[in-house]
Amino acid sequence: MIAVLGLIVGVVAGLLVRPEVPAVVEPYLPIAVVAALDAVFGGLRAMLDGIFDDKVFVVSFLSNVVVAALIVFLGDKLGVGAQLSTGVVVVLGIRIFSNAAAIRRHVFRA
Amino acid sequence: MNHEGEQPENRLRRAQGEQPESSLRGTQDEEPESGLRREQDELPENRLRKELPAEVPAQGPGFAQSVEDKSAPELTGRQRLAEGLWPPRFTRAQLVVALLLFGLGFGLAVQVASNSDSDSALRGARQEDLVRILDELDDRTQRLEDEKQGLDKQRQELENSSNQAEEARKQTAEKEKQLGILAGTVAAQGPGITMTIEDTKGAVQADMLLDAIQELRAAGAEAVQVNGVRVVASTYLTDSGKSVDVDGNKINAPYRFKVIGKPQDLEPALNIPGGVVQTLEKEQATVTVERSDKIVVDALRAAKQPDYARSSSQ
Repeated sequence: MIAVLGLIVGVVAGLLVRPEVPAVVEPYLPIAVVAALDAVFGGLRAMLDGIFDDKVFVVSFLSNVVVAALIVFLGDKLGVGAQLSTGVVVVLGIRIFSNAAAIRRHVFRA
Repeated sequence: MNHEGEQPENRLRRAQGEQPESSLRGTQDEEPESGLRREQDELPENRLRKELPAEVPAQGPGFAQSVEDKSAPELTGRQRLAEGLWPPRFTRAQLVVALLLFGLGFGLAVQVASNSDSDSALRGARQEDLVRILDELDDRTQRLEDEKQGLDKQRQELENSSNQAEEARKQTAEKEKQLGILAGTVAAQGPGITMTIEDTKGAVQADMLLDAIQELRAAGAEAVQVNGVRVVASTYLTDSGKSVDVDGNKINAPYRFKVIGKPQDLEPALNIPGGVVQTLEKEQATVTVERSDKIVVDALRAAKQPDYARSSSQ
């Protein structure tokens, strides 16, 4: 419950504050958001499986974000930033879908 | 350990029902035989006995155990979800997750907001996209530049043609003036000579004046008038008693010629031996020729539109 509240408060704060995104972070923000979404879905699934562990969640969340940003950064440096970020999004999207499928089985039993 | 533990079994079996086999194998060495036997024995019995209980728990967490968990009433995923949702508990886990989710929501909202900002559509664009957009803009600029050059060229051509038209008009006006001088429709001025023929006895006749005019023309006279009558191409002179008719206008002595042309050419042409002056003086007429820097030929002749002749040039 607190976690859901945190998400809602975060969205509202982001919409209200509308901070200027620093130019350095700008290319990495969308990928980082997708990676964090992946971690969140993974955490939700783990919770439904009954094997949720907050330490694992924190580590996976942060490492997901960092690794995704790192891949994009590396891609930018190598000149394949667009392709690599597309790849990252595809992979994360697949993971999100599989996690969502597991969650669905838990919640709707179907 | 196993050797000793199993050998009694093997021997037992051998003793029980496998005599012929053991007698066949008996030709071979004891050690490999017993090893083979042990493997054969372990395949059906021991492995099953040992590995089945070990494998079941290995599969358990994937399928079997979770099925068992679901079947257990209090541990359903749904119930866990509801449990986690409703009574809000300020555990460390909840707080940490809330913090992270706050970050996620914040980033999400910021990204969505900055993406939907139409003003800064280019802000979130990738470097390659920006380069592409820049290239497109460059192309477009190039095209527009080309178009501008073409239009400039066209404009210049039009200006040139209007300049040319202006020039042509000027030339036409100039030509009109020149032709007007020739046709006697405009006044003319310039250097030239004045020739005065005093004829007290009426001895000067039209042919003599015509000779004088021919001589002047041959010497390069450009505009001529005699006593206020312009002399042009169609001028004719006729005798009329003691006077002379020029184009039907009667003129009397003294005959005063105003001639525009090069004075240095005109005067000698009149004065050559056996020329106009000598011929006239033979008839006892007095001829005076004066050079002048400014002769005004202001006698005019009406322009006459030809009835039949038309210009054959456009």
